[in-house]
Amino acid sequence: MHPQLQLLVALQDMDEMLRETEEQGEEFEGLGFKHGGLEDLKKAREELASKIEPSLASWYRRLTGKFGHAVVPVVGNLCTGCFANIPSSFVSKTNVNKVQKCESCGRLLYWP
Amino acid sequence: MDIAEVLKHTSPDLFIPDLEASDKTAALAGLVEGLISGTDIQNPDTILQMLQSRENLGSTAVGPGIAFPHGRTLAVQRLTILIARCPAGVDFDSEDGDPTKLFFMLIAPPQDTGHQYIKSLAALIDCIQDADLREKLMAAGDYESFCEAMREG
Ligand SMILES: [Zn+2]
Repeated sequence: MHPQLQLLVALQDMDEMLRETEEQGEEFEGLGFKHGGLEDLKKAREELASKIEPSLASWYRRLTGKFGHAVVPVVGNLCTGCFANIPSSFVSKTNVNKVQKCESCGRLLYWP
Repeated sequence: MDIAEVLKHTSPDLFIPDLEASDKTAALAGLVEGLISGTDIQNPDTILQMLQSRENLGSTAVGPGIAFPHGRTLAVQRLTILIARCPAGVDFDSEDGDPTKLFFMLIAPPQDTGHQYIKSLAALIDCIQDADLREKLMAAGDYESFCEAMREG
């Protein structure tokens, strides 16, 4: 996987965790979980974000604002964001030269 | 959610009867290794990083001698649950300081909109409150008898 994509996936996972903690924190706390490290997690998130190339970082922000998720898995040759077909020339986990975008919706593509 | 429903998300390939780990980092790595070898899931680094972040947020060792590492990641397509026993126990930063001997690891995709994994967590946590059951689970000879004990509660 492209190292920048690896960072973007980690960033999106972390954003998901922050969002979940903010929106459903009480539900988890009701089960006995504690979230004392929230501020540290936010710092770790910024540190991770700073390692992403500025153009990709701004694309990530734009897509997250528009769709909720910027990076989507490709399943069965489909972009799971907009269900457009991903050309077979894209279908290569070994293509580590660039971060691929869906030609239809622009989301960043990840092959799980 | 009932326990039989929760157990549908695991399998004999996702059962580690005797995890060996000297510390928390090694335990997480061992759990993820089990997940990768028991499924077609790839990208262990992404999963490990997510779990580590979750532990930094607050330890998931919230049961008596039990931890529930969990979270959402793009690296999985469906809710997947791995069960591991660590008979020797490992320091997993539990609040009471007791070593952790049993793990239920729940990994969910971001698009788990029905919040299946929170419901599954709640059902598991409720189920293991019973001390007799915890003893049975540690003694169960194999995956089938482990699940049987869980279902019987
Ligand atoms: Zn698309």
